[in-house]
Amino acid sequence: MKRRELFSITKPSFHPHPASPGVGRFTNALLRTHENKEVRFYDDLIRGKQVVVNFMYAECHGACPLVTQSLIKVHRALKNRMGRDLFFYSITIKPDDDSPAALEHYARTRRANLPGWSFLTGNAFDIETIRFRLFGMNHPGFDLDAAMHAGTLRIINDGTNCWTAVEAFASQKAILKHISWADPPKSYTDRLLESRVRQTLIDKDVKAYGYRRDV
Amino acid sequence: MPNKKAKPRKKIKESTGSLSRRDVLKIGAATGAVTILAPNIITSNKALAFTGETPPAEPSICATAPTSSPATTPFLDTFTAPFPAIPQELNPAPTEARNLAGGEAERANHQRWNEFPPDVEYELEARAGLHTFHSDYSPSYIWGFNGRYPAPTVLNLYNHPTIVRFRNSLPITTTTFGRNEISIHLHNGHHASESDGFAGDFFGTGFWKDNHYPNIYAGYDAYPPDGDEQEAMHSFWFHDHRAAFTANNNYLGLNGMFLVYDTKDPGHELATSGSLRLPGYYGITDFPIILTDKKFCLTENGRTELFNQVGGAAPGGDKWIVNGKIQPKMTVRRRKYRFRILNTGPAKTYDITLVKPDGSVGTVVVVGTDANFLEHPIPVDAGANAANSNSTTAPIVPGGLRVSVAERYDVIIDFSEFAAGSKLYLKEAQAQFVGVASPDPLPSGLAIENVLMQFNVVEREWWFPPDTTSIPSTLTTYPTLPSTDNTFEWQFVRDPPTANPRLFRINGQVFDAEKPSHCILKGTTEEWLLNNNVGGSAWVHPVHIHFEEFRVLKRFVNGVEVPVPPLMSGRKDVMRLEAGQGALIKMQFRDFVGRYLIHCHNMNHEDAFMMVRWDIVPDQAGLLNCQQQMAAHRKELEARFRKEEVS
Repeated sequence: MKRRELFSITKPSFHPHPASPGVGRFTNALLRTHENKEVRFYDDLIRGKQVVVNFMYAECHGACPLVTQSLIKVHRALKNRMGRDLFFYSITIKPDDDSPAALEHYARTRRANLPGWSFLTGNAFDIETIRFRLFGMNHPGFDLDAAMHAGTLRIINDGTNCWTAVEAFASQKAILKHISWADPPKSYTDRLLESRVRQTLIDKDVKAYGYRRDV
Repeated sequence: MPNKKAKPRKKIKESTGSLSRRDVLKIGAATGAVTILAPNIITSNKALAFTGETPPAEPSICATAPTSSPATTPFLDTFTAPFPAIPQELNPAPTEARNLAGGEAERANHQRWNEFPPDVEYELEARAGLHTFHSDYSPSYIWGFNGRYPAPTVLNLYNHPTIVRFRNSLPITTTTFGRNEISIHLHNGHHASESDGFAGDFFGTGFWKDNHYPNIYAGYDAYPPDGDEQEAMHSFWFHDHRAAFTANNNYLGLNGMFLVYDTKDPGHELATSGSLRLPGYYGITDFPIILTDKKFCLTENGRTELFNQVGGAAPGGDKWIVNGKIQPKMTVRRRKYRFRILNTGPAKTYDITLVKPDGSVGTVVVVGTDANFLEHPIPVDAGANAANSNSTTAPIVPGGLRVSVAERYDVIIDFSEFAAGSKLYLKEAQAQFVGVASPDPLPSGLAIENVLMQFNVVEREWWFPPDTTSIPSTLTTYPTLPSTDNTFEWQFVRDPPTANPRLFRINGQVFDAEKPSHCILKGTTEEWLLNNNVGGSAWVHPVHIHFEEFRVLKRFVNGVEVPVPPLMSGRKDVMRLEAGQGALIKMQFRDFVGRYLIHCHNMNHEDAFMMVRWDIVPDQAGLLNCQQQMAAHRKELEARFRKEEVS
């Protein structure tokens, strides 16, 4: 077997960070994907993985389609990683209305039925709990309103126990950058190489515009 | 490697009336002498250790929020000033361009390096350490500069350019919610952008970065060779500004105080020419009061850890921390003291009063707001000077000093009017959890839960510096502001309840490090309307603007002009905007170019992207280019969210 083939069939193994809050925080709720597959929230979806989570519902005509649209473009940029070490989860906040079929219809009509991207429904109480646990800001003004954070992408890497977030309405470059903030730690050598690239851009900017524009 | 000795050193000018080199040396000697006697400075040699210490084990994190922190005995620990940072000769020597081979993080060349070659050099290393917040507690895991909380205080002089080398030695992986990348902002230094700690310019473990602080008065170019003294600022603080993780890293301890002295405020109390002779010996009669709130939990490894959870904002604490200690006591002599109150947040606002032995509110004389002297001192108390209090909206605290995150209030308290043996208290309006009764009987009406710290008045010993002369009625005069070149409005909003998706925004935008939201030509003057009166927002935003101090021209409540409150009459760099409030401010953009920020300094809001970038550009071509970039970004977003593309 060729080396390349070996890599392509080896699935990455997912190990949670020792400090991961685990099922205690994430819950291990039983959810259903738009492909009507049963999944456990922590064990199957989060454990050791890097994920981007957002909340939506199928009949939403405000922010949700915009966020989905935004995620499609991000998916395009990251498609080599999607489904391998990076996953998108769009969870409905109206699970009573959104059956797996309804979500499948949403995903298909929005052209969001893409690898590594699951639309999820389940028990209303479980989903509310997950929403609180992922977005809980210890503030009633944030937490009690289901529409809150509809435009926020929660980014979690359970393998490094890094949580961050980004607004779906930021530029695509900004979203990609925020997702990369939760990437597994890079070696010093890799970071040095990246730093060199950035330095070249800075020097170019200063030469042309008199200051570091960084746009 | 250039030879450091061969580097052109800045010529220190012998000038009449201002500080000469000899004066500086004298001050140094005098301060040094008293420092040795100083009873109130932490003198552990740990403060001097830079590298090589084994970092402490990562903390076990409390799984769920503790109902309360463990109880603490009031007034057990002594109030101290953080140890002053020690200047050193940096190796490798600082350079104008980024020192790639030496491990420096990427940056643009230092601006005006040849004009302001560094006189003084420091290294502050961000790393994990242990700090004991109270003697009843076992040590807590923190992130601090040189492993300390609070960080060593940097003491500087105007016109003596400084390099502070910030080294990142934070752990590669952590069990805390901290992020091991840093960008250190000197709040509110007048510095070039590459040394300003821009939120997007963070660097990771293993790198360092030289921040170049020329310590010049703003508007330097118009007043050669020493700048305009009226532009003086004195009480700065430095803190991590890493985008989206500022609250986390500051909660873990990455902040400290930075004072800059000059003729007027020389760091001593001697009768030197031009000195205001305010209480001025750092750590003896002049103390920072660095406030923060934290929550603690006991963990199985025997440590008392800071409660924090990944994915959460910085948790609201139930312990008020004063210079790294819970409810400390301080011995004060019967004389005047200066306290530079600083709220490091991450989010809490303080309403502070001085409580006298009889339970009434004592007078604090405010001499400075944020980094600047007021033109005239403003006494604040609940009696004759009640109108000067800025605690004027709910919860109203008579005689209170309302201190928002990142604000500094430079106050003088005169203890000479109290008999030896009396005890005074600093009170915070909101109660904390204490759990142990006060060992001392408290003045009537004061609950132990509201006490920040205790002052024990004693007679002055023969060796302690005698009281200073009375506070001058005029502290400074402000420079005349030039005419306005441009006006701009910044709206601080959270989308209204009817809207979706309810985000914090400034002018409809969320933070993007690569997107300027306003372009300014270097050397111009602008009037900005800061407005928290739009879109039904009901949140408080302490707005901070980088780079230069501003003057408040007008204040608004629900769109109606109201008088500028006394404590907002001075130069400031943080403007508290409660719901419905607005302010018209005037600000200049001089000496340097680059990317700067305006943001809400409630660090949880800031991390929720309530921050935008504005640029100072060198010339018309730069202005045009900057405006084109803004237009291009707008276009990209509009195209991305066009209706037809969505459906």
